[in-house]
Amino acid sequence: MEEARPPADGTGTLLHVDIDAFFAAIEQQRDPRLKGRPVIVGAGVIASCSYEARRAGLRAGMTLSEAKRLCPEAVILDGHAQVYRCFAAEIFARCRQVAPAVETYLDEAYCDLTGTERLHGDLLEAARGLKRSIREATGLTVTCGLGPNRMLAKLVGKTVKPDGLARVTAAEADAFVRDLPVEKLPGVGHAHARTLRSLNVRTAGEMRALPVEVLERLFGAPGRLLHERCRGGDTAVVSEREIPLSISRETSLHRDSADRREIEGLLEYLTGRACRTARELGIRPRTISVRLRYSDGEGDEQARSLRQPSDADPVVLALALETLGRLFTRRVALHLVGLTLSNFARAGAEQGALFDEREAGRRVALYRAFDDVRRAYGHGVLVSGRALHLKGHLEEDEHGFVLRTPSLTR
Amino acid sequence: MRQEHIDEPVAVRADFQGGTITPLAFRLRGREYRVARVNARWVDRVPRHPHFYFSVAVESGDVYQLQLQAGDLVWWLDSVTLEG
Repeated sequence: MEEARPPADGTGTLLHVDIDAFFAAIEQQRDPRLKGRPVIVGAGVIASCSYEARRAGLRAGMTLSEAKRLCPEAVILDGHAQVYRCFAAEIFARCRQVAPAVETYLDEAYCDLTGTERLHGDLLEAARGLKRSIREATGLTVTCGLGPNRMLAKLVGKTVKPDGLARVTAAEADAFVRDLPVEKLPGVGHAHARTLRSLNVRTAGEMRALPVEVLERLFGAPGRLLHERCRGGDTAVVSEREIPLSISRETSLHRDSADRREIEGLLEYLTGRACRTARELGIRPRTISVRLRYSDGEGDEQARSLRQPSDADPVVLALALETLGRLFTRRVALHLVGLTLSNFARAGAEQGALFDEREAGRRVALYRAFDDVRRAYGHGVLVSGRALHLKGHLEEDEHGFVLRTPSLTR
Repeated sequence: MRQEHIDEPVAVRADFQGGTITPLAFRLRGREYRVARVNARWVDRVPRHPHFYFSVAVESGDVYQLQLQAGDLVWWLDSVTLEG
């Protein structure tokens, strides 16, 4: 889809849709006995927690041991990634019914409503209708923010969470942003905020005193964006992103392990799942990254590039295993292993080796057949090589091995 | 909360009125369980034929997950979640 930049004069309208306490809300929906109770979804760390848990001081990213200390009565669930994906798909389908361009993430979406006023009439009413329709279809609440650009739509939504709806107009943008702490601006993390505080800059309004050259010198290219954002501007487009930025598959081990057969088996299984997703999207990764976390909390990650983009399991796996060999050097058990594919090319867009076409064609047909079988009967019905070692060690369902912390395509 | 996987095909009595599937009761190991409430429903459209999922509470309060696979129209009982 062609990308349209929001008008710089503030006449655009962006709708930000954020699913409230996404994973935890779905678990409360699926089992009403969890309603009103603090619910945590995650393994090792909190991936999502209910508002009841947040009232006890819990938040995403906190370790489960810390969470249990703060809120001993919390119900901790491993999570069901496939269920969350289905709910998200339903919600995003409804967003696409109201907006011509929708950019989706795990639990939020940006909908470009620019130019739809004649279709919808009052856009605030259209957003209200979308909230109602999502609630009726899924039982979940979403918070919506309307603004002249992405940043303002998201920021104004944050002021009315959960289940809220708010709008900031272009005329109100300046006053809305001026007193915000700099950390609230997208692109300002802990490190940037520390740098700004050292300059006695604490709010977006104070940041406006810094010329764009200074911000670029401090933060590199993103400095120009921050110069725009502290004034309430954001020219980032809503992109359908048919090609995702990355496909990640990772899991923490059911029991910390230094057993190479088990770790290589898991990596082979994760590679198979990630490559299948890439094939289904018709894309081939150029970059493969392997991530490890040891049982003592230390972690390491390394990215390497393929000579040619490839979605073939053996090609990706060979590089992933080689990277694992370089990374896994400490004599400490592993807690988590993950793989990320990125830097994609469309399948067929890259140049192939001249004399390998027949072999490549046979391989494509083979993987297409594998994918068809797995789509019909579940990923776990075909398990190859090292991943066979996982049989009997890990639980299985119709989607394959049950991973503790499955992750999604972003 | 304790989840137990069952993964068995089951006979389900369901209402298909108005294009909405609503499971009413299912039979497991010779015993009929009446559905007291459908807690949630969702659809997985990734497989070639969609899979319709239902989280249902039976009269005892236990929560079961049922699945209807549209390809072969077979109902599966995926799991039960028990208190404690």
